[in-house]
Amino acid sequence: MNEPTQRISTRALTLWRLYGIIQASIIALLTIGTGIFTYLFNWPLWPLLSISTILVLVITLYIFVVPSVRWKRWRYEVRDQEIELQYGLFIITRTLVPMVRVQHVDTEQGPLLRKYGLATISISTAATTHKVPALDEREAEELRHSISSLARVAEDDV
Amino acid sequence: MYEPKRLHPISAVINFIKGLKDAILPLVAIVFLNSNRGEGWLGLLPFLFSGLLLLIILAGGIIKWLRFTYWVEEGELRIEHGLFVKKKRYIPIDRIQSLDFSEGIFHRPFQLVKVTVETAGSSDAMEAEAELTAIRKEEAKQLERFIEEVKRGRQQDVELEDDQPKRQLVYKMSMKEIVIMALTSGGAGVVISGVLVFLSQGMEFLPVDVIYDEVIDWLQFGFLIIASLIMLVLLIAYGISVLLTVLRYSQFSVFHDSGDIIMTRGLLEKKQVTVPLNRIQGIRIDENLIREPLGFATVTIISAGGSLKGDSDQSLRVLPLIKRTEIDRVLRRILDDYQLDLPVKRPPKRSLIRYLLRLVWLPAAASTAASILFYPLGLLSLLVLPVFGWLGYLSFKHAGWNVENYQLTLIRRFFVKQTYIMKKFRIQSMHKDQSVFQKRAQLGSIGATLKSGIGGESARVWYLEEEDTHKLLDWYRHET
Repeated sequence: MNEPTQRISTRALTLWRLYGIIQASIIALLTIGTGIFTYLFNWPLWPLLSISTILVLVITLYIFVVPSVRWKRWRYEVRDQEIELQYGLFIITRTLVPMVRVQHVDTEQGPLLRKYGLATISISTAATTHKVPALDEREAEELRHSISSLARVAEDDV
Repeated sequence: MYEPKRLHPISAVINFIKGLKDAILPLVAIVFLNSNRGEGWLGLLPFLFSGLLLLIILAGGIIKWLRFTYWVEEGELRIEHGLFVKKKRYIPIDRIQSLDFSEGIFHRPFQLVKVTVETAGSSDAMEAEAELTAIRKEEAKQLERFIEEVKRGRQQDVELEDDQPKRQLVYKMSMKEIVIMALTSGGAGVVISGVLVFLSQGMEFLPVDVIYDEVIDWLQFGFLIIASLIMLVLLIAYGISVLLTVLRYSQFSVFHDSGDIIMTRGLLEKKQVTVPLNRIQGIRIDENLIREPLGFATVTIISAGGSLKGDSDQSLRVLPLIKRTEIDRVLRRILDDYQLDLPVKRPPKRSLIRYLLRLVWLPAAASTAASILFYPLGLLSLLVLPVFGWLGYLSFKHAGWNVENYQLTLIRRFFVKQTYIMKKFRIQSMHKDQSVFQKRAQLGSIGATLKSGIGGESARVWYLEEEDTHKLLDWYRHET
C-alpha cells in the first residue's frame, strides 16, 4: 500500500522546536528554583538530580528528536473520493476518511502559527475530527476549498 | 392540536416533585444542622425557611405548568415557556426523528404519557431536547401520527384515522430471560454504590458521637458480625437491584411500524423508544464473562442522533438478553440486512504474546509494587496475574474480522467480547495503527468509527496481519 504523498510545511519543524524550547525553559526555571532551594536550605540532592534528568530528556526529545520524527512521519493526501492521513511517533496511524462522510472543514491559526504563516486544518465527519497540523497558510486555504467542494459533490445519506 | 395547549395539570405535581428531589439535600441540611441552635422563635427559623423553600418549589412547579404551552403550526412543533424570559422552541416536524413515550406512576392513573422529542443529531446539545411532561395518551398518539403524515408529505386530516396502530410484534422477551438478565447484571454494583453514597452523606447529619459509642460496642462483638452485616446489606442491595431490573424490563417487546423499530418495556413505569430504521448505523453483540459461559448475549443497536440522556445506550438494547444461538433467527426478523456468524479471520500466532503483554503489564506492575510494599502478604497479589494472562489469551482467541460484500465484522474482547457488525456506507472513518515493533513483526491494528448518538463509537481489533489491515483499508476505499 502506497504512503500518502503530501508532506506538511518544513516551517512546522521550526515551530515544534519552538514549542519544545518553551516547555524546556519552564522546566529549566523549575530546575534553577530547585537548585537555589537545595543550596539555601540544605535539601537532599535527589530532587535536583531528578529534575535535571527530566530537563535533559525534555531538551533532547522535545527540541531535537520528536519534532523531526513527527515531521518525517506526517503525510496526507486528498483524492477525489477520500482523504488519507498518516502520522505518529512511535505508533504510526493511518486514517482513511471518505469524501462523502466529510461534514465540514475548518482552518485555525494561533498567534505562533500566524507568525510562521502556518495554519491547522481540521476535517470533521459526523462522528470524528481529523487534524492536519501546521500546513502552509495558503495551502491550507486551498485544501479547505477543495475538500469542501469535493465533499459537496460526493452525495450520500448520513 | 393547532391551538396552544397546556400540559395536563398533573405536570405541576411532577414539576414539584422534581424540584423537591433537587432541593432535598439542602432542606435536610437546614433542618438538621441548625436543630440545636437558637431559643424561642430563632429555633423555628430553619423550619420557617424550609417551609418557604417548599412553597417556592411548589409555586415554581405550578407556574412552570401554567406558562408552558405547545401546539403545531406551519409544520413545526412549537413550545413556549418561561415566566420572565419567554422561551420559544420551534422544531420543524421533519427534523423530528421520533417521539419516545414513558409513563411514571403519576401518569398511569390518568392515562398520561411523558413525551420526549428526539431530533436527528442536532449539533447543539441543548437544542436536541424537548419534553412534554404529561399529556393525554390519545393526544400523544395523535401527535405521533401527525408527524408521520407530515414526513410522508401528505397532510390529511389525521384526526379521522382509526386508533388501531399497525404495529407488528417481532420479539418479546420471556420472563425467564428477564430474571436471568437481572441476576447476571452489573446493576447490583450501582445499587451498592448508591447505598454507600447514601450512608456517607447520611453520616453528616446523624448525631455522630452517640453512634460512635454504639459502634465501639459493636466492635466488641467482633469483626465477624460486622462482616456478615455487610454481606447482608450487599445481599439486600443485590435483591433490590434484581427486582428493579425485572420491573424495568418486564414485558420487553420489539415492534415494527412502518420503517421504525419500537421498543416498549416496564411494569410500573412504561417506556417506549422509537428508532427509525434508516438511522441505524450498526449493531453490537456483547458477551460478558458471566453471561458468555451460560450462552447468553446482549444485542445493541448503534443509532445516530437521538437525545443525550445517560441511559440512551441502555435503551437501544434491542435484545437485552438472548441465547447466543438464537440471535441470528430473532435478529433476522428485526433487522434483516445484517449477517451474523460469518467465518472470521483471526490474528496470527505471533500476536498472542502481544495480547498477553497488553493485559498483563499493568497488573504486573501493580502487584510488583504491592509485593515490595507489603512484603510478604503483598505477594498474594501475584495470584491475579494468571487471571489476566487468561484474559489476554481469551482476547487473542476471540479477536477476528470478516468482510462480506458491504458488511464489516470486527470482534474484540477485553472483559466483554464485543462483535461489531456494520455496513461500509455507515462507517465514518477507518484507521490502521502500527508501532515500530509491530512494523518489524508485520502486524497492525484496525479501527472503524460509527456515528452513535451525537458522538462516535469505535470498533478496534489489535495485532492483525499487516496484510489484512491493508485489505480492510482497501475494502473501505472507494472503488475506482
